[in-house]
Amino acid sequence: MAAPLELTCWGGGWGLPSVHSESLVVMAYAKFSGAPLKVNVIDNTWRGSRGDVPILTTEDNIVSQPAKILNFLRKQKYNADYELSAKQGADTLAYIALIEEKLLPAVLHTFWVESDNYFTVTKPWFASRIPFPLSLILPGRMSKGALNRILLTRGEPPLYHLREVEAQIYRDAKECLNLLSNRLGTSQFFFGDTPSTLDAYVFGFLAPLYKVRFPKVQLQKHLKQLSNLCRFCDDILNSYFRLSLGDG
Amino acid sequence: MSLVAEAFVSQIAGEQILLSDNAASLAVQAFLQMCNLPIKVVCRANAEYMSPSGKVPFIHVGNQVVSELGPIVQFVKAKGHSLSDGLDEVQKAEMKAYMELVNNMLLTAELYLQWCDETTVGEITHARYGSPYPWPLNHILAYQKQWEVKRKMKAIGWGNKTLDQVLEDVDQCCQALSQRLGTQPYFFNKQPTELDALVFGHLYTILTTQLTNDELSEKVKNYSNLLAFCRRIEQHYFEDRGKGSSSIRSS
Repeated sequence: MAAPLELTCWGGGWGLPSVHSESLVVMAYAKFSGAPLKVNVIDNTWRGSRGDVPILTTEDNIVSQPAKILNFLRKQKYNADYELSAKQGADTLAYIALIEEKLLPAVLHTFWVESDNYFTVTKPWFASRIPFPLSLILPGRMSKGALNRILLTRGEPPLYHLREVEAQIYRDAKECLNLLSNRLGTSQFFFGDTPSTLDAYVFGFLAPLYKVRFPKVQLQKHLKQLSNLCRFCDDILNSYFRLSLGDG
Repeated sequence: MSLVAEAFVSQIAGEQILLSDNAASLAVQAFLQMCNLPIKVVCRANAEYMSPSGKVPFIHVGNQVVSELGPIVQFVKAKGHSLSDGLDEVQKAEMKAYMELVNNMLLTAELYLQWCDETTVGEITHARYGSPYPWPLNHILAYQKQWEVKRKMKAIGWGNKTLDQVLEDVDQCCQALSQRLGTQPYFFNKQPTELDALVFGHLYTILTTQLTNDELSEKVKNYSNLLAFCRRIEQHYFEDRGKGSSSIRSS
């Protein structure tokens, strides 16, 4: 495809091309399917938009949200799921739903809600990449959005209290990690020898959790015990992202 | 370990119940029937408030109350009945993943259709949800619930979806379920599991509930193996047992 595909997303750190899960999912999928993406990292100039990231821009389209971006890439013939059977395609959808329901709330909590983590790591990192004075407002808004999402999907009406929900979401996340580890087993990727959409999603959600250094790390500790998932992340980083890390 | 002697499934009264609650309730009934546990279905207008988590259905066994399919499955397992013991670890992971898929897509689509689609809200949902209460309580409660659901939709990114996109998601979900089921009688071949109960609950309710348009049930009808699956479970677990589940007839 001649039309240049540009991806606007949050930048990287701690050995990752991006610390934002959704951006990472899209980057990984693009690498797996061979799509030529030009990555525009958000920095603290006023250029480009910051909301709703990652965003894919082509000559005549603007697509946001990972699921829609992946669909768009597939339609452009960049398909990483070409060799999957119908059942494996169905399994992909199911496992993605599992990750979004069980793992995402705890990942959001670790990054955006847990105060030690948020104030020492997440907020400074994002604020340094957003121009003043937006840097005072946007991280707080993202944090509120994350808290909202956790409470509305996991909290039980009429009490929307975080304390009751916290223990449950971490339990669910640990269970989800165990299930993913069981499913991966000793294979290199989830479906055989070539990576697919599911690998992109799992990598996108696990890699930041695995690599970013946080003060409060219970979920990270649990992940580090699942050696096949850690190996999975490291393999993808080494095979697909090593070259681009050299350019920063 | 005492056998569960009698459990009753509480749900909202017949004319008040909505699509998504009916689906959840049917799933629990199907699960308990599959475990061969006797149940009695009881309808209460304030079932939502009686439930410990605010969601219906819930079961009441002796002096314990457990709500929602997940915890009910755990509770029943603790009493010694389980449908998924024969599965290995990978299969259990798959089962959990597919259950999340149903919750993530089908249930959310049902909620969207009931509370965010203006025609359905105006013609069906508001009237049904508030029916046991006098004016103005019926309006207030309905609006409050609608506001809650809309907030949730916005938080998970469904706030800007159009009805067509939602129906497309339902189609994708049904396609995935249909492909996973293939030609087998149940999702994990010979024996039904809680996944079969959950899928049956949702699909059957979608197929048999009258809404303002038939688009939702048309999406499901495209997949003949899913229709056969519903029919099979209905025949095997509800018609043969007759009695307690007359709630299916009335929906």
